[in-house]
Amino acid sequence: MTPDDSSPPGLDIAGLDGLDTPGALFLCGLRDKGVELAGIRAEHRALLDLICGLDLKPIPKVKSIPRWRQFVIQIGKGAHDARHEAIDLVTFIGRTASWTMNALMHPQCLRLAAISRHVAETGMHALPIIGVMAIMMAVVLGYQGVAQLRPYGGEEFTINLVAVSVLREMGVLITAIMVAGRSGSAFTAEIGVMQTREEVDALKVMGIEPMQVLVVPRIIALVITLPLLTFFADIMGLVGGAAISQFLLGVSPTQYLARLPQVVDGSDLFVGLFKAPIFAFFIAVVGCMHGLRVSGSAESVGRETTRAVVKSIFLVLALDAFFSILFEQLGI
Amino acid sequence: MNTLTKTHAEPILSARGIVNRFGEQVVHDNLSLDIVRGEIIGIAGGSGSGKSVLLKTLVGLRQPDAGDVLLNGKPVQTLGAASKAALIGMLFQQGALFSSLSVAQNIMLPMREHTALPVEEQETIAAMKLALAGLPADSGIKFPSALSGGMVKRAAFARALALDPKILFLDEPTSDLDPIAASGIDALIRQLNQTLGITVVIVTHDLTTLFTVCSRIAVLVDTKLTVDTADKLMQSDHPWVHEFFHGPRAEGAMNARKPSHGN
Repeated sequence: MTPDDSSPPGLDIAGLDGLDTPGALFLCGLRDKGVELAGIRAEHRALLDLICGLDLKPIPKVKSIPRWRQFVIQIGKGAHDARHEAIDLVTFIGRTASWTMNALMHPQCLRLAAISRHVAETGMHALPIIGVMAIMMAVVLGYQGVAQLRPYGGEEFTINLVAVSVLREMGVLITAIMVAGRSGSAFTAEIGVMQTREEVDALKVMGIEPMQVLVVPRIIALVITLPLLTFFADIMGLVGGAAISQFLLGVSPTQYLARLPQVVDGSDLFVGLFKAPIFAFFIAVVGCMHGLRVSGSAESVGRETTRAVVKSIFLVLALDAFFSILFEQLGI
Repeated sequence: MNTLTKTHAEPILSARGIVNRFGEQVVHDNLSLDIVRGEIIGIAGGSGSGKSVLLKTLVGLRQPDAGDVLLNGKPVQTLGAASKAALIGMLFQQGALFSSLSVAQNIMLPMREHTALPVEEQETIAAMKLALAGLPADSGIKFPSALSGGMVKRAAFARALALDPKILFLDEPTSDLDPIAASGIDALIRQLNQTLGITVVIVTHDLTTLFTVCSRIAVLVDTKLTVDTADKLMQSDHPWVHEFFHGPRAEGAMNARKPSHGN
């Protein structure tokens, strides 16, 4: 076709064997530009008519925001979200405490079957992994202690180091972090899936309070199991300490047992075990809260689970730092 | 086996001796099915009769315990990814739109993976597919979570059509839709079949779709498949098939059937 040809340009497509939708779109574009299509086969006409008849508009572009503004917006959003999260958490802690107290005052409201199931799931099934982790933690501490104290001729004090740190800090911390990752996330996922299937709404419609049947049993179960698990982790940590003393210091297990009462006392055990139920409460509260915050879609279950684990481990460490300062000031 | 099969050219899809079982339970016992180029075939059956399993087997998502599925004469399991994508389009029951991508990106994904088209070209084609599926252009930038049930189906339709497939598998295309949206989907299926010549396989409970859209119906009952036109199946003396086509709901759906239909 030449530009200064007076007759409209034409295209003969009689030889076209096959036509797909992008091809038809191209031909329609040509037709719109004034090209006469000739020799259209019968089987192509319907497709051409369909595509040419479509009201085509380009897909609008998403307005892009410059990087620096996105950064500023994210900071603002983050602060806004953090404020709301804090308010939500405090509110939920209050509601949980109120419902838990209510259940304890009226024992007929306690779901004993649910509590025992959660105790088994969060406690019994966690024993092997927590035992192994406590032993490994004692081994790590023992090796570091011997290496650091040997230049001063004080490697004997490794026994004190391992026993005191396991009882006061490491036993409860390792247990709490493991339980947050294992059971806190399970709470979020279980309640979250119920939320996506409208099971929580079904409870409400039936006049059953989700706080009472879903949250309170989990809180009570975890407050029961975490101290027990911590005690188990303490014992396994001391067993690990005994093993490391035998291998690195040549202190036999009987000698180790005889020395233990001299290096640790009841307050060390108490400090560790005192923190366990408090950590348990916060892990369970955060897990349940995020479970109930799941909205409709399946991907929000994953998102809330991640948030619950991150937040509960953060809370455990923050509380532990607070307790360290508190006990130091109190001289325990 | 069937008059339609004999009169037409070689089938686009043929399943031979399909057996599917879960443990002891046999779902499909030696099924055979020929799908002719350009037809719309409906697969019907009670809940739990294995319709979805059959569909997965036909598409090649499930390896049957025995038997072969031939697509264009080649076993569907041995087809390469790109040639399979060019042949098969599938509409999943819940849409299965990727939630992290916008609707336009969902439609462009198969093009991006399997063609060397420039992005602008892909966008033009995606806009065309959206219009073809009856969605406005500005729904292209929306994310699946912002769409209603009917729009999800249409967007999933647009994605299934992205590579101009030769055969389109639809899993419950009208379920969860209001009657207006469902009729719209029915009309869309007919239009795509007539203009693009796409072979369509519909798994559905929807009697209206079966009566008004499908040229043949395959009824899956008691692990066996009976394939025939709606008129012939109406005269079947099998108790379940009779109940299915003569129940109170079937009578209503029959009235929706256009007298001109019967190609």
